[in-house]
Amino acid sequence: MKLVIQNLTKTYKNGVKAIDNLSIEIGTGMFGLLGPNGAGKSSLMRTIATLQSPDSGLITFGDINVLEDNMSLRKVLGYLPQSFGVYPKMSAEDLLDYFATLKGISNKSERQAIVKEVLEITNLYDVRRKHVAGYSGGMKQRFGIAQLLLNNPKLIIVDEPTAGLDPAERHRFLNVLREVGTNCTVIFSTHIVEDVKELCNEMAILNGGKILKHTTPQEATKELEGKIWKKVINRDDLEENEAQFNILSSNYNQDNTLNIRVHSDVKPSDDFVSVTPQLDDVYFIALKQDEPVLI
Amino acid sequence: MFSTIFKQELKYWFKRPAFYIYLGIFIFLAFFFSATSAGIWDSITVTTGSSRIVNSPIGVNNLFSGLTTFIFFLFPSIIGVSIYRDYKSEMHTILYSYPFTKANYLFAKFLSSLTIVTIIVLAISFGMFIGFRFPGTNSDIVGAFIIISYLKAYLVFILPNVLLFGAIVFAVVTFSRNIAAGFITVIVLLFVQGVVASVLSEPDQRGLLAILDPFGGGAVQYYTKYWTMSEQNEMQIPIKEMIIYNRLLWTGIAVLIFGLVFKFFTFSQNAISFSFRKKSGERLTKSNLSGITKINLPKVTYDYSFLQNLKTTWRISNVDFKYIFKSWPFISIVLVGVILIIVGLFTVGNIFGTETLPVTYKMLNGGGVFVISINICTFLYAGMLVQRAKIARANHLVDATPVPNWVLLVSKLIALLKMQLVLLAVIMISGIIFQTYKGYYDFEIGHYLYELYVLDFLNYLVWALLAIYIQTLIGNPYLGLFALLIIAIGMPLLSFVGIEQSIFKYNEGPGYRYSDMNGYGFSIGPYLWYKVYWILLGIVLLIKAGLLWVRGIPFSFKERLSIASSRCKGLSVIGLTVFFLSFLALGYTIYTKNNPKGERLSSKEREKLRVEWEKKYKKYEKYLQPRIVSVKTDVAIYPKERTYTASGNFVMVNKTNTPIDSIFLNHNSLESTFEFSKPNKLILEDTIHNFDIYQFENKIMPGDTLELSVTLESDKNTMFRQNSPIKENGTFINSGMFPSLGYSSQGELRDNKTRKKYDLPPNDLQPHPSDSTALGNTYISKDSDWIDFEATVSTSKDQIAIAPGYLQKEWTEGDRRYFHYKMDSKILNFYAFNSARYEVKKEMWNGISLEIYYHKPHTYNLDRMMKGLKASLAYNAENFSPYQHRQARILEFPRTDGTFAQSFANTIPFSEGFGFIADVDDTNDDGVDYPFAVTAHEVAHQWWAHQVIGADVLGATMLSESLSEYVALKVLEHQHGKEKMRTFLKEALDGYLQQRTFETKREKPLMYNDGQGYIRYEKGSLVLYALSDYIGEEKLNGALKRYVEKVAFQEPPYTTSIEMVDFIREVTPDSLQYVIKDMFETITLYKNRVKEVTSTELENGKYQVDIEFEVSKYKNDEKGKKFYGDKVGDTLTYKNDKMNKPILSVKLQDYIDIGIFTEEEVDGKKKEIPLYLKKHKITSIYNKVSIIVDKKPTEVGVDPYNKLIDTNSEDNRRKL
Repeated sequence: MKLVIQNLTKTYKNGVKAIDNLSIEIGTGMFGLLGPNGAGKSSLMRTIATLQSPDSGLITFGDINVLEDNMSLRKVLGYLPQSFGVYPKMSAEDLLDYFATLKGISNKSERQAIVKEVLEITNLYDVRRKHVAGYSGGMKQRFGIAQLLLNNPKLIIVDEPTAGLDPAERHRFLNVLREVGTNCTVIFSTHIVEDVKELCNEMAILNGGKILKHTTPQEATKELEGKIWKKVINRDDLEENEAQFNILSSNYNQDNTLNIRVHSDVKPSDDFVSVTPQLDDVYFIALKQDEPVLI
Repeated sequence: MFSTIFKQELKYWFKRPAFYIYLGIFIFLAFFFSATSAGIWDSITVTTGSSRIVNSPIGVNNLFSGLTTFIFFLFPSIIGVSIYRDYKSEMHTILYSYPFTKANYLFAKFLSSLTIVTIIVLAISFGMFIGFRFPGTNSDIVGAFIIISYLKAYLVFILPNVLLFGAIVFAVVTFSRNIAAGFITVIVLLFVQGVVASVLSEPDQRGLLAILDPFGGGAVQYYTKYWTMSEQNEMQIPIKEMIIYNRLLWTGIAVLIFGLVFKFFTFSQNAISFSFRKKSGERLTKSNLSGITKINLPKVTYDYSFLQNLKTTWRISNVDFKYIFKSWPFISIVLVGVILIIVGLFTVGNIFGTETLPVTYKMLNGGGVFVISINICTFLYAGMLVQRAKIARANHLVDATPVPNWVLLVSKLIALLKMQLVLLAVIMISGIIFQTYKGYYDFEIGHYLYELYVLDFLNYLVWALLAIYIQTLIGNPYLGLFALLIIAIGMPLLSFVGIEQSIFKYNEGPGYRYSDMNGYGFSIGPYLWYKVYWILLGIVLLIKAGLLWVRGIPFSFKERLSIASSRCKGLSVIGLTVFFLSFLALGYTIYTKNNPKGERLSSKEREKLRVEWEKKYKKYEKYLQPRIVSVKTDVAIYPKERTYTASGNFVMVNKTNTPIDSIFLNHNSLESTFEFSKPNKLILEDTIHNFDIYQFENKIMPGDTLELSVTLESDKNTMFRQNSPIKENGTFINSGMFPSLGYSSQGELRDNKTRKKYDLPPNDLQPHPSDSTALGNTYISKDSDWIDFEATVSTSKDQIAIAPGYLQKEWTEGDRRYFHYKMDSKILNFYAFNSARYEVKKEMWNGISLEIYYHKPHTYNLDRMMKGLKASLAYNAENFSPYQHRQARILEFPRTDGTFAQSFANTIPFSEGFGFIADVDDTNDDGVDYPFAVTAHEVAHQWWAHQVIGADVLGATMLSESLSEYVALKVLEHQHGKEKMRTFLKEALDGYLQQRTFETKREKPLMYNDGQGYIRYEKGSLVLYALSDYIGEEKLNGALKRYVEKVAFQEPPYTTSIEMVDFIREVTPDSLQYVIKDMFETITLYKNRVKEVTSTELENGKYQVDIEFEVSKYKNDEKGKKFYGDKVGDTLTYKNDKMNKPILSVKLQDYIDIGIFTEEEVDGKKKEIPLYLKKHKITSIYNKVSIIVDKKPTEVGVDPYNKLIDTNSEDNRRKL
């Protein structure tokens, strides 16, 4: 099923245009939504998840008109917000049973079966009797996945799920997500480029409420092949280089020198070497091109 | 640093709209209450007629302190949050690493929030100031503005209370980091204050209460409880010992609490938490770090049908219910509530120190204190549940699930209702535990369940619906709770602004009333209809709550409204329309049933009607009328249908010397016919006042006889309203149903200021007994003297019907049972009819048939009543005159008609709540055997009312009520001994002194009293008992006997209090004539106290007791103003070096008891034995006596038995 968003606009009371006439089509598979903090990712995802209504625009998922018939969407929706709390003094098992009830599973034994399954999928089975409020960050995120799975969703929306997770947890999380997302549409927002690279078959870069680029990770890097150049410079030469070249990113080496990466169709100067493009470069280029041009 | 934080805090508050909302609310409340008490609504409601100055120092203090109590509810969100806010915004993680001291931080936080509270307190005083003076208030009851009253109230009472409660809330919220905890603390503290006050309710515990009452109200009460109206209006609250100690104690505790906060507060990241189970530490390691799991979700069915949604609603309500049930605010409210119930049950139904049997309705009554708990839990948890997901930040998870809004909303409601059911069970369990503890095993589980789970539950349901709505609307549980409290408290107060009918006030309506005899009787129908009515509105509110339900991220209010209107379609619209229309339709039905043909009037309209009545018909007051000499009635009571029909034949004689041309018939609004035996013309028929004038073709000549036949029919009851007084079991109706002759002054307005407003002349109500022209009528009836009486009463087959007289014949016809009664001697024109399924206890005694007609299970006190009948009949017959009847009957009637007993000729209706279920403990010296005493009192009325009846002038009730009370006391004393009298006398003294402080018109001396209960009962019994002590019982009774001989069964002119007192005066020695003047003719009060006492053992083994004591007395005028004699030179003064002010007194020539006591053990109980008790002649204020007694004394006293009226009876005794 395809998620289609057309001309979606949302302006907040304080004048911030969180979503700016946004249109996109998202098909089955993992879809990564990349963007800096405050780009409008959460607003977009909340809007798709029926928690917020836009000022104008249209969203459909398959033949569900999301904005008109949000109940139908909720039936096939799995949503994991950016941050969430849980009822205190309730175990994972009880809470999942609660959510399973909310999601319309009427039969008690079926509820127990699916709760057991999602606990096992998320490797929470051993701690199922512990209060969720006392879980560590990673466990809580996994709990988030567990509750999301309960209605066997067709559309999964996860909002920055890997922020703050340790590497092992992050991997585990992404694996589970990947496994879940084989047959449905997963929209996955992050500001960590790595996540997208590892996981997504499609991606978009969002900033200022607009889609800057809609592509796939492979294509995006392929496009840049032969156009990314690297040089090692002294810290003091940075300003000079910035004025000269289109620097995408710069980072320190241990000897206090800097690596700079530059986007250019031709070799900018002799001391540059060509490097393999990375997804980061795609991201930075997209953001840079969107910057208002000062005259 | 201090000032930075302090200023920052204030700035924070000044920017918040909440602060201005609070200010507005409190200014409004203060304004509303003060303006209302000052009579601003007089133009639309009844006139506030009173001599009470509403802004007297004590009035200002009460209102000011009372309103401040409401601010306590805001403390958690003002004082409590000052530190909590830093945690909540997680500012503390940064702030606490900054370089400021704990003192800076804590003081700045605490003092800044106190400043905010202070501003609100000042707003209250401002609102009061404006309210009292607002144009339209009644300037007669508003005094001058005295700033010192406000300052005193603020500095002495409010400020320390704010400090105390502020410190407690500050401590609780700071350490628990939980606003709810602070909130519950406030509620618990208010409860505790209630418990302290109710545990220490006995007069001799007032000193302790004065110290322990955290509000200081008990301490003020300690000094002002007996202040007369004039003292209340003029005097400042004295800042004396008790008040100072109390304030120091509680301010000290406040400082201590703040000190503890200071000591234990640390800039740490974690809240202090308490856990009863210490968990053993467990090392957490991660395992299973890798691994790809195959996801294979089991096949489950998803069901989104309506039925499934209903099931879901129920299931998730359990989750919410568990949350409430396990939360400790709930647990603590329940615990405190249970303590309150149990404490309450110990005092419920205590009459004269004697307990009542713990019957189920008493237990349910006692559970009434739990109402507040249930309501507060409902209001609070409605908010907690509605906001639960948001508070836990789980709202996005919940909101994205495919569950309809209504499921969430209704599940909250159901969880709330389940909570109420649990709380109601608490009442039942407490009651049953208490009954078991008392050894009363007649558990009426069905009665408990019906009242709690049907009747009460409906009431709480109505509140729950409103609570869900308000909490959804407001979105902040604490603000919502505050709003709900204001609504719940404010609803009944709407009457003050002229909104009187219940259908306009949320969840108001007639209550239900229960009696053992008649169950819930008729009250149940109207009660249920009103509840249905409010539930309909509640459902409308619930639907609206559903429309306003927040789903998703928080919206602005405007956005919510537009979402609500977009949601408003389909079923919601249909539901809203159907329920709202049903609500209106039912409301209209109730309204029209309540106001048939516009008959039901507002109190303002009734006030105007009374004016009209007097203006129109007062002129006929002196118009001569014939007198009724014989009454023959036929009353048919239909208990099943709850109606009656009655007919009567009244024979009248023109006893005057002038021919009478017209008869004024003063009747009621019942369907009636009137027919005279002589030709006449109806020349005036007033259907509003029900006053008709019949003019006779031929004048009724002196000595001529005339008959009037009356038939009448009771109104029919409707589903919504009781119009007929007939009960299914336990009917008690009286002669008031029949018309009377002539104008009646009963309906006239009493307050002279109000009268002036309507251009009515001042009204003395009753003439002075010295007015010989006013002695033509008794105070019982204006149209008759003594009558012959005969009645046929019929009722259903299973009941017994009774009227005064002797049973002539009894027969059954179909399913009706008939009784024909006839009296063989003259009685007053005052009779009643009773009917119930009675059991009868009969006994012949000295030719008199003693009969008790009682409700089958109520056998507990029949023997005591029998004994009371005999003892009182014997005492009266022996001391005054023979009993005029051959029979004395007690008839039980349901407590829903009142808790009293009343004496008709040979017939005494007696409430089931007043003696039938008393639990008399003969071993308890502090408890009065009141079934016995009340019976004795009522029997005494057969003499004092039914033989000797006073003219309708001032002081008439002394001849009936005071004397009956005196007889009861004497009979009790002879039966049970002098020791038992102390409780009775003490309660009478306290009752008199307290009730007179509520006198808003005038208090007259006993023999000229206006008929106030506290004068004719309490003061009357004290005075006559003391008098019998002074001149001797025999002498007093001898005088009374001669008096009875002269005036019993007399024809007009009737006797007066003056005549009776003259008889007493005759037998009183000259030295004691002052007693008559003090006790009967003036209002005299003593202030006696023991100052110093020493006891020394003498060589012969005896003890010399030296007592220093003071005796002083003063008089009150009718407004309660003190004076010390009629003219200069009448006043004694005494002052020594240590005293600031002299003691004043009226001149003394008084005989006062001096007593010395020891304690002895009798049967394992300590008993007081008098070693010395004699009257000493006292002529000066300061006295010193030396008395030698045989045994070691333990206590001495001046007037130790409190025979005299003394405003402080506690200091009359002194322990050695």
